[in-house]
Amino acid sequence: MRVPAWLWAAVLVSLMLLTMALVTRVASVEGAVPITEARVWQSGESAEDASTVSLPHSWDNSHRRWTGEASYRIDLPAALSEAAHADPGVALLLPRVGVHFRVLLNGHEIAGEGWHSNPGYSDAGTYAHVVPILPGLLKPEWDRNELVVQVRGEALRISGLSQVWLGPQDAIWQRHHWLHWWQVDLTWMVTSAALLLGLLSLLIWGQTRERLFGLLAGGLLVLVVRLFLSVQVQLPGPFALWDFVHKLSFTWYCGFVYLFMWELFDFRQGLFRKLVNAMMLVAPVWMLVLTLAEDYVLYRAWMTVVIGICVMALLGVIHRARWGIDASQRLMVVVGLAVMVTGLRDYLVVQLGFPGDIDIRWMTPGSLVLMFAMGWVLLHRSVLSLEQVGALNAELAQRVREREQELQTMFDRLRSVERQRIIEAERRRLTRDMHDGLGSQLVQALNLVRASGEKVDSAAVAGMIGHALEDLRMTLDSLEPMDGDLATILGTLRMRIAPALEAAHIELDWQVQEVPAVPGLEARGVMHLFRCLQEVFANVVKHAHASRVTVSTYTEGDAVVLSVCDNGVGLGRWAAPVAGMGGRGIGNIRIRAAEIGAEVLFEPARPGTCVRLKFRGAAEHQENGFED
Amino acid sequence: MHVEARIYLIEDDPTILSFVTQALAGRPGWQLVGHAGSVVQALQMAPVSGANVFLVDLGLPDGRGEDLLRQLARACPDAELLVFTVFGEESRLLEALQSGATGYVLKGCTHDELLSAIDQILAGGAPISPILARLLLRQFRPEVPNASITASPEHQLSERETEVLKLVAQGYVNKEIATRLSISPATVGTHIKNLYRKLSVHSRVQVLRAAQERGLL
Repeated sequence: MRVPAWLWAAVLVSLMLLTMALVTRVASVEGAVPITEARVWQSGESAEDASTVSLPHSWDNSHRRWTGEASYRIDLPAALSEAAHADPGVALLLPRVGVHFRVLLNGHEIAGEGWHSNPGYSDAGTYAHVVPILPGLLKPEWDRNELVVQVRGEALRISGLSQVWLGPQDAIWQRHHWLHWWQVDLTWMVTSAALLLGLLSLLIWGQTRERLFGLLAGGLLVLVVRLFLSVQVQLPGPFALWDFVHKLSFTWYCGFVYLFMWELFDFRQGLFRKLVNAMMLVAPVWMLVLTLAEDYVLYRAWMTVVIGICVMALLGVIHRARWGIDASQRLMVVVGLAVMVTGLRDYLVVQLGFPGDIDIRWMTPGSLVLMFAMGWVLLHRSVLSLEQVGALNAELAQRVREREQELQTMFDRLRSVERQRIIEAERRRLTRDMHDGLGSQLVQALNLVRASGEKVDSAAVAGMIGHALEDLRMTLDSLEPMDGDLATILGTLRMRIAPALEAAHIELDWQVQEVPAVPGLEARGVMHLFRCLQEVFANVVKHAHASRVTVSTYTEGDAVVLSVCDNGVGLGRWAAPVAGMGGRGIGNIRIRAAEIGAEVLFEPARPGTCVRLKFRGAAEHQENGFED
Repeated sequence: MHVEARIYLIEDDPTILSFVTQALAGRPGWQLVGHAGSVVQALQMAPVSGANVFLVDLGLPDGRGEDLLRQLARACPDAELLVFTVFGEESRLLEALQSGATGYVLKGCTHDELLSAIDQILAGGAPISPILARLLLRQFRPEVPNASITASPEHQLSERETEVLKLVAQGYVNKEIATRLSISPATVGTHIKNLYRKLSVHSRVQVLRAAQERGLL
């Protein structure tokens, strides 16, 4: 059985919390003495004015306002008097001290951080410090030794002194390493993880523009800024600027993480969402006011609002999700609750004095777990997206195949319809040609036979049937593939008209030369051209009284020209009936010429007439009929 | 040179037989040596008829005229094979010429035209039309240089033959072509007849090349 990720996470997080609880029980350093009280006086007061405070002592928790500097006098425990003079001696451990400090032993400064630095950002609070108690500076009378920790605070930071330890140096250093790992090394680990995940999320957001990854990237990169600033002791630039960024980054981090979870749960609307958006917008203004006012109380108030909104928002998410919808959401609920537990533990132990190691915060490893949880969600989401993309691509490919099939079917159908249309058009043309040509010739022959009675003029009938046969052959010739080759088309016609010209004693001067192929002279076009020229030659034979007719082809600019010139009586004859078609000769020629895209010109030739058919644009093709 | 014509008619239409018989009556010395009305009959009788001119109808009732032409060309390589057709359907004529025909004559011609056509073919000439010339020019396109199967030079178009074909395709008649090329009209006819003989070889080469391109050879 497969165990869900959220269950794994719940078990692991519980184990982690349990382990942390065990290793961060009430602190004890072997041989060392915890210092829980100190006498403290502020700058401007004398040691005689000192009051006793319990450690940890935070200036911001005091009834009166503490500013500037304060001196904490620590009594040296009598138990350490012998160890102090032995090798390696004793040392003072300052787990947290802020923001600037120095340690004086009998008036001699023996350690410090940021005390003498120039104005600028300086915060030693994150680091634990070990101060060896130098035996040479100790007075023989143990009770007369004065160990003073002087602290200089910042108005916008928690200032004061944590519980300190005095004890053998070995034990103190061991404790120091442990604290350094928790407070510094772990912070760097979280920073690195957050940076890596943040950049990855940013990259994915750049590619997908998915809001979820944008929010996650925003939250993680803001966290990186905050953590980076947390482990920096000194930075160039004014303290107020870095403090502003540091505080703002926490609010934005909380806001982005909340919005990320809200987006993850796909809750688009809601009061908490509006609150978070308002919180993120108001934060810079609030922080600016805080910086100018230098009142830490304002920050505490703000933090109360931020934490309140975040806790309510998390509870709201859990409530609305009804224990989550999918593995990622459940995982985030589990981890979110765990992070809340770590925060609650820190608050109870550090602020309220509940049992536990006061020097160690759980929030840092809690954040690390949160990072990994977010990373897992990111990965899971990406894998899901890829799977969805793969599935969508497969579906799309299937649809494309189906559409292609449909298109192919439609195309085949269209092609079939088109073929039918062409066949039908060709059938009509052939029918028309046979009706007008062959049919009328046969009717004439039939009428002649009928009119002749018993005496059939066989020569006339043979002539008419011969004409019919020629007409049929011409129709069939037009079906031969001639590809617009005007010379071949004319050559074919010549075979038909030459005998008639010869019979009329008209000399045929053939001046046809190769010209570019004429587009549009397919079967139907060829037939139109045949009919045009039939009319022209019939006119020449019957009405021109010519002795010579010249047929020529040539190019003229971008046009291919076909010219038929006779030396007969001239243009006037075109008004006479032509080829049994009344006075419609010119009109028929023009109509047929227009059908094949030719311009027809009737020009006087002195003597005689020239009929020219101009195929404009044909010469641009420059394709010879023989070459195709 | 006067050549006696021994004609064998392969035609299923009895009126054509009558027409040919009447036409030959006007030319003493020419004789109709036989007649067949089907492919089967023609294949049995024609090769042994001693004819030097075969008039072949392409539309026989029991087979394709082109197949008959191919077999006759093999059986009687020296004989003239004239296709006897109603229409000058050049596409079909081309196939007939590729099958071995050496000329054609249209049905519906007069007696004199038939005799003239036989005269022309026996004298070494051959009829041609502009469309047919165009189709022949296509058939004899320059060969692919790297083709392993090529027609021998004597079976490819010569420059003069190409000129003749181009002029025919432009509609010029033999006399005009002869004038333009400064040769005799008879030579023009000879060129055309040679073209037909080359065509059947050329088409066989093309068949072989097509088979080679498809990996069949």
